Amino acid sequence: MNLPSRLLQLLMVVLMVGGASYLMMQSLPGDAAWRIAAGRYGYDALDAAAAASVRAELGLEAQGGLHFLYWLGDILRLELGTSLISGESVWVEIRHQLGNSLSLAGAALGISLLIGPPLGLLAGLRAGGWLDRSLLAVCSLLRATPQFLLALVLILLISVEMGLLPAAGHGEPQHFILPAMTLALGLAAVSARLVRDAMAAVTQTAFHDFARWKGLSNAQTFWRHGLRHVALPLVTYLGLQFVTLVEGVVVIESIFGWPGIGHALVHAIFSRDVPMVQGTALVLGVGFVLINLLVDLLGRQLDPRGVK
Amino acid sequence: MNVATMTTPAYHTRDGATADDVVLSAEDVSVRVQGAQTALLEPVSLALKAGEPLVVIGETGSGKSLLAQALLGTLPPELVASGSLWLDGEPYPLHTPENRHPLWGRRLAVLPQEPWLALDPLMKVIRQVGEAYRLVAGRSAQASHAAARSDLEQLGVAAASEQLPGKLSGGMAQRVAFAAARAGGAPLLIADEPTKGLDAARVSEIGELLLKSLAETPRAGLMVITHDMALAHQIGGRLMVVRRGQVIEQGATRDVLAAPTHAYTRRLVNAAPQAWPEAAFKPAADSESRDGKAAGETIIRAENLTIARGDTTLLRDVELSVKGGEIIGVQGASGCGKSSLGDALLGLLPPHSGRVVQHAERLEYQKLYQDPVATFPPRRTLGRLLKDLSARHGLDDSQLPQLMEQLSLAPELLSRLPGQVSGGELQRFALLRLMLIKPRFVFADEPTSRLDPLVQQEVIACMVKMVREQGTALVLVSHDAALLRKVADRVLVVEEGRLKARQEI
Amino acid sequence: MNQVVEGLAPQRVEAVRRPRLDWPLRRVIGAAMVASLVLLALLGNLVIPGDPLEQHLYRALQGADAVGVSDAGEVITSAPLGYDHLGRSLYHRLVAALGLSLSIAAGAVILAAFSGISLGLLAAGRGGWAERLLSLVADSLLALPGLLLVLMVSVILPSTPLALWLGLSLVLWVEFFRLARATGRSVLASPGVEASRLLGFGAWYRFRHHLWPEMAPVMMTAMAFGMANALMAIAALGFVHVGIPEPTPELGTMMVELLPYWREAPFALLTPVLVTFLLLLGLLLMSGSKARTSTAADTLEGARP
Repeated sequence: MNLPSRLLQLLMVVLMVGGASYLMMQSLPGDAAWRIAAGRYGYDALDAAAAASVRAELGLEAQGGLHFLYWLGDILRLELGTSLISGESVWVEIRHQLGNSLSLAGAALGISLLIGPPLGLLAGLRAGGWLDRSLLAVCSLLRATPQFLLALVLILLISVEMGLLPAAGHGEPQHFILPAMTLALGLAAVSARLVRDAMAAVTQTAFHDFARWKGLSNAQTFWRHGLRHVALPLVTYLGLQFVTLVEGVVVIESIFGWPGIGHALVHAIFSRDVPMVQGTALVLGVGFVLINLLVDLLGRQLDPRGVK
Repeated sequence: MNVATMTTPAYHTRDGATADDVVLSAEDVSVRVQGAQTALLEPVSLALKAGEPLVVIGETGSGKSLLAQALLGTLPPELVASGSLWLDGEPYPLHTPENRHPLWGRRLAVLPQEPWLALDPLMKVIRQVGEAYRLVAGRSAQASHAAARSDLEQLGVAAASEQLPGKLSGGMAQRVAFAAARAGGAPLLIADEPTKGLDAARVSEIGELLLKSLAETPRAGLMVITHDMALAHQIGGRLMVVRRGQVIEQGATRDVLAAPTHAYTRRLVNAAPQAWPEAAFKPAADSESRDGKAAGETIIRAENLTIARGDTTLLRDVELSVKGGEIIGVQGASGCGKSSLGDALLGLLPPHSGRVVQHAERLEYQKLYQDPVATFPPRRTLGRLLKDLSARHGLDDSQLPQLMEQLSLAPELLSRLPGQVSGGELQRFALLRLMLIKPRFVFADEPTSRLDPLVQQEVIACMVKMVREQGTALVLVSHDAALLRKVADRVLVVEEGRLKARQEI
Repeated sequence: MNQVVEGLAPQRVEAVRRPRLDWPLRRVIGAAMVASLVLLALLGNLVIPGDPLEQHLYRALQGADAVGVSDAGEVITSAPLGYDHLGRSLYHRLVAALGLSLSIAAGAVILAAFSGISLGLLAAGRGGWAERLLSLVADSLLALPGLLLVLMVSVILPSTPLALWLGLSLVLWVEFFRLARATGRSVLASPGVEASRLLGFGAWYRFRHHLWPEMAPVMMTAMAFGMANALMAIAALGFVHVGIPEPTPELGTMMVELLPYWREAPFALLTPVLVTFLLLLGLLLMSGSKARTSTAADTLEGARP
């Protein structure tokens, strides 16, 4: 995609998240105030007075027709409001959590890139060989295992049964290993298959054959006429993979108690903290568009033929 | 001519030639499917002498490419070759293709089919030539670059050197591929259908290129595999004719082409449009009947027509009127707007300005396509498709068996899917489909350019018959000037965005 | 490959002429796995009747042999897979959970496929603004994680199953839309469609005989994938406590409930885990494309404009 269509996409994402958040706000039932009050003061201190004060303070009942436009205006001015639960500015909350999530996602991506593409290249170069077939089997099994299930298995085996690593927690390096591995295995499975298919396809092309006929060795052909053609789909794929990664992060953080953006999102949904949900969704959506803009630029470097 | 006597191992001498003359010889080359008994290519022996090209001709599926692939070691893995190859006296058994891999680029150069696919789409042209100098011939980076540049200059494609292959025309791509294939310094060149998909003018350029490099390189050998008689004639040297995996005739190219002894070779030679008899496709030669036809009613007329796609104007000020029973040839290089002319005439593309006047009903304006496989629904048998058509328009299909016989289509083909019959058969089915409708006007867009010459001749004959019998108006588009000259009543040429009458007719 | 394998043509024709529906063994096994689990969901409660919500606390985490007489003296229906931590029959909870997940996922896939294909073909056929607008919406939805969308819908809509159904459809239609648009574009521009139009065949004929044969296998694969993704999402949401609320049985919820009792009753936890895994594996095998994900397909498609 080119820059203008990415910008349109960005605008559309903001519009959709804003619209959905507005609807969420609208649909909060009367007892949302009770919920929020409960989240704020604890269920023991919950009474009608507390709920009423929450309702008045947040203006939950004052919804005008133009309210949606004001709502969008706030977003465009980057006014994301304050969390209904903590009373903290949404920006502050997100900034805090995003760092944690990015380090986890980065570690996972790094591990997956170390495992997946190299295996995929080896399998693709010998398509149909034993490595290719066993990789296919492993990838199929991993693909059929949802991440939360993988997390469950890893926790049971490595934490509970062997006692090697902590199942939950944050702060120490060893806390990284299990959640990052869980995320990485799923990513690696897919990138390995993708690279394998791309590599196998490249070795079938006429230009690959012709490079060999010119007298280039197998290795020279691979470096000069193979790698770039494999990198191209991989880079595009990684851009799209960002969403899958985020989705994994939401689940994995909740399971491993990782204080990141996904964990916060699930909590915000649970307690109907609409400003937090909106802020998180915006950061994730905008992040996706920006990352894919970078991917577009990188793709153009790799493939100068240009986009039509 | 007896094939058995042609066995010529390298260490023998023949026709008074010394062993030194023979740069490549092969004995009992045969190819079969792994594990199967029947051979796809029956044992063939051949010798390639320095400076004397060898041309192998035959139809698609004859096994001529298998011969090249067996010699080069590039057969697909499910096929196995046997026999042996000698290069300057060194033996290379053919059943282990790996023994030839180190020879690629260094002693054996391979010119690919469809070079626009053989060049890496992501690497600049000059680097694709330069890397062979660098990595195969072992020159320095600077020397490689300079050598590549001078090659491209000599071949007249220097302007393209900094471009990606996607920007090249077919002829340019073939010249770049030629430079890249030769850069490693291999004296023996094997070219498998080097002119496939190229316009006639480009074909003779490639022929010259091959002959020039043969003459300039010491102890060079050249083997060209083709179904193009014009190219075979141009290359000269010796000729082998392959049919159904067997060599049926060989000898000096000029002698064989001038006086073929085998009936098949004779048909093959005569199938080239240049060799078609002058009057075969014209209406009865006397001018009277021709005038009679010319008086036929006008079926379609284009007035001051300008055709554009998007912002590009392809053709301007087209004046054209076609009468029943008339064949108009339209000639032009690929991409000149010939197909858009058809779309405009058939009402598929609204004219940019001017107008198209159709004098008959909508259904009576039809088109014949270049690739027949793409024009039939893929998952319905041919019989069902024809039934669909007659049901749709309430046609009488009692004449179907007769029409099929006319087009020499066997009845059992009706139960096959479109992908399961040959290209020639399918194109005749496309024609049959039209004959059922009895259109008044047909636009035939390169209908035979993907067919072998023999099949092309048959299809053209069927088409002309339809025109003459049903009084159809036909616009026949082709890049082949000879074909149009033999078939069409008038030939128009697309030049500089205009449709002009061809001068020499 | 550019080398024409001359002389192979006859064998190729034979290969094409084989019957159309020859699924490789892998797909047959996958379909059988899915079919048996669907049958379990449909018939499980008829074969051995029972209530997935009925509690017998004294039987908590007991095995299947803990059958006997209730406090009131009546014979308790059997629980072939034993009991969970609240003494509810695992078998019946599993059957109910499977039924619920399968119907939500199937409903979402059907709605998504129907709307995605129609809109995709509309975009391909119309082009222009309709196509640009629809593609913009689809691309923008792609920018948001599917789970997030489902979660937002679940806040807006009152009933969780309804929210899951609509939310998942909202996520899944994009894939069908993109596939239908891409196929539609290439097929509608093909000479075959043009020829049929010139020969006077109507829109329905062109759809039935040109478009559908090209689209059907791709769509079947996409439907199996979509089904697997929907099931995964439902279970994942249950696992992190934001899915279908208690006490309705759900696969993900069952797992997280039983996790603390892993030591005492490993089998109780393994049952929902195994069922989920087999169901997903079956669907992926059935889809016929290897371990390729839909995103990878998009990527390859997108890489060649």
